[in-house]
Amino acid sequence: MTELTLGRVTADRDRLLRLLQQYGVYAGVVVLLLANTVFTPHFLSAENFRTQAVQVAPVLIVALGMALAIGSEGVDLSVGSVMALSTSLISLYLGYGPWIAALAAVIGGIVVGCANGALIAFVGVQPIVATLALMVAGRGLALVLLPQLKDVRDPGMAALGSGDVLGVPYLVLIAAALALVVAFVVRRTTFGRQLLAIGDSRPAARLAGLPVRRVLIIVYVCSGALAAIAGVLATARLTASDPTSLGTLMELSAITAVVVGGTPLSGGRVRIGGTVAGAVLIQLLTTTLIKHDLPPSWTQIAQAVVIVLAVYAARERGKR
Amino acid sequence: MKPTALLRRTSARTLITAGLVTSLALVSGCAKSEDDTGKDKSGTQRGDSGQVVASPSAGSGETCDIAAFGGERTDLKNATVGFSQSEKEANPFRIAETESIKAEADKRGVKLLTANAQSQFSKQISDVQDLIAKGADLLVVAPLNSDGWEPVLQAASAKHIPIITVDRKINATACKDYVSFIGSDFVEQGKRAADQMIEATGGKGEVAILLGTAGNNVTTERTKGFEDRIEEKAPGLKVVFKQTGEFSREKGQSVTENLIQSNPGIAGIYAENDEMGLGAVNALKGAGKKAGDIKIVTVDGTRNAVQGIVDGWISGVVESNPRFGPLAFQTLDTFTKGGKVAQDIVIQDSAYTEDNAEADLGKAY
Repeated sequence: MTELTLGRVTADRDRLLRLLQQYGVYAGVVVLLLANTVFTPHFLSAENFRTQAVQVAPVLIVALGMALAIGSEGVDLSVGSVMALSTSLISLYLGYGPWIAALAAVIGGIVVGCANGALIAFVGVQPIVATLALMVAGRGLALVLLPQLKDVRDPGMAALGSGDVLGVPYLVLIAAALALVVAFVVRRTTFGRQLLAIGDSRPAARLAGLPVRRVLIIVYVCSGALAAIAGVLATARLTASDPTSLGTLMELSAITAVVVGGTPLSGGRVRIGGTVAGAVLIQLLTTTLIKHDLPPSWTQIAQAVVIVLAVYAARERGKR
Repeated sequence: MKPTALLRRTSARTLITAGLVTSLALVSGCAKSEDDTGKDKSGTQRGDSGQVVASPSAGSGETCDIAAFGGERTDLKNATVGFSQSEKEANPFRIAETESIKAEADKRGVKLLTANAQSQFSKQISDVQDLIAKGADLLVVAPLNSDGWEPVLQAASAKHIPIITVDRKINATACKDYVSFIGSDFVEQGKRAADQMIEATGGKGEVAILLGTAGNNVTTERTKGFEDRIEEKAPGLKVVFKQTGEFSREKGQSVTENLIQSNPGIAGIYAENDEMGLGAVNALKGAGKKAGDIKIVTVDGTRNAVQGIVDGWISGVVESNPRFGPLAFQTLDTFTKGGKVAQDIVIQDSAYTEDNAEADLGKAY
């Protein structure tokens, strides 16, 4: 009798944790939205939602690439430095016009991604170490290319940063489109399945004859390219190239969004919807504390609590 | 390994190598940045505006001379001066500071050795030790930290090498461990920013503060000066919002975006450095505000911020003068000849308002 109850309790607890991991982030977003509607003056305005969406867009785009890296049982610490590199490259190539400059920035991201992927796939370096190396090198290179902040006066860039279509800012449209593409790739393509299989167990994937190296390189190239796109958008929004501070701690924000969104660090699963919600959750959390003028240290503590909750839910489930 | 796999592997490697090489060539070969009109126009006036001592000059306050410090009189012209910079020359303040020291050494024909600690304190300690080992007779140090200087000070005082610290103080005994400190009074800067804010807003309404990096003495002192002066002189002004913009334009922008939505009635924004102030301007522009709707007061005096006054977006800028060269060398000169120098040399920072911004734009760094 007791054993039976105990079993049921464990099962209930298990189900609860599973629910928390899968839907907790959405519940969190809803709770924060409701709380802000009640307690924050002027929260329910189109202008405010626009601001929040614009602010979250670069983080979200970086998080999409991070989700792929984490899904392959890796991580990409170089994303913040790629953003800095991308902003430097824009400033360097803006003489050719905004499109060429943006292209140069994205190529920069792809090159860093290639280097990451090559180190991981061919040399066999742990992802955390390989991307740490590129994180340091990338920021250094960005500062060599552009030693200090430089204003961006190009009207095309400014339009990208502040323009909109029917009231929806370009930044938000681009982020949404990229999220849809990445979600499609993960769910519907062979590449997506291979990525998840590799994240689940690399030796098994290799034995099954999957092109492990190629997939890993593509994963880090995607992550680099997405971070570079985020760098382009952030530069356009700021109308300045600031390689010293752009993208600092971005890798942590992105990892937080992915983990809070229910993607396990152990690989083999990628939840793009959750990642989007995770990024939005962190944005809302920060913004709530700012709007109520609470000390900035509280934001960090609140974020930490959310991360611990998310990881706890994931870990408990993983143990079964 | 099967031949096909080998082939695939080789081709992937070749591809990556080729990609890396071409992109490196691309980066170095054909960069073409945006034309910088406007910057060079006023650039001819650069190097203007050395520092002026506010208080206390030699005579008032505690002084120091070579007899009290120990060592022998020398002529600055035959001496080697070592300069240790704390942070990378990646922001206008540090660039102007290093340039000013180098220019003054050139002007006086003094041999100068320089080092940059790249924001790593352990590197700064070894930088200074290196400078001493390379034969520096006198040192000018822009300290990264206030504490932890004992190893350097011991080495320097054993050789009777006079040290002058600029822009930040070190926790040690003046005239024993080092000679003098030359720098701005950050509390005073906050007070003068408050004066400008009171004038711009008429002393009524709600104001916000964009704080600098947490735990930084510049942040605490600029905040204290501002709040004290507001409380004392303009009880009608209320500080309703204090959030960090971490001294960066991007954070300044995103925090201000949130601020103007939650507090649409805000009358003024005090940004503790120019970069955050420029971020705030970005945010106001994005929200469809007009120049002058919300008064912005900042501290530093960089070219971009003073241009902001000319354009009408910024009401006032309190200067934090980085041009330590002339004053530092003058102090060293007096000291090495046996004269008295003040232990604490506080410089007189100027300020920019709509009255003088256009005329003095060339003085901004």
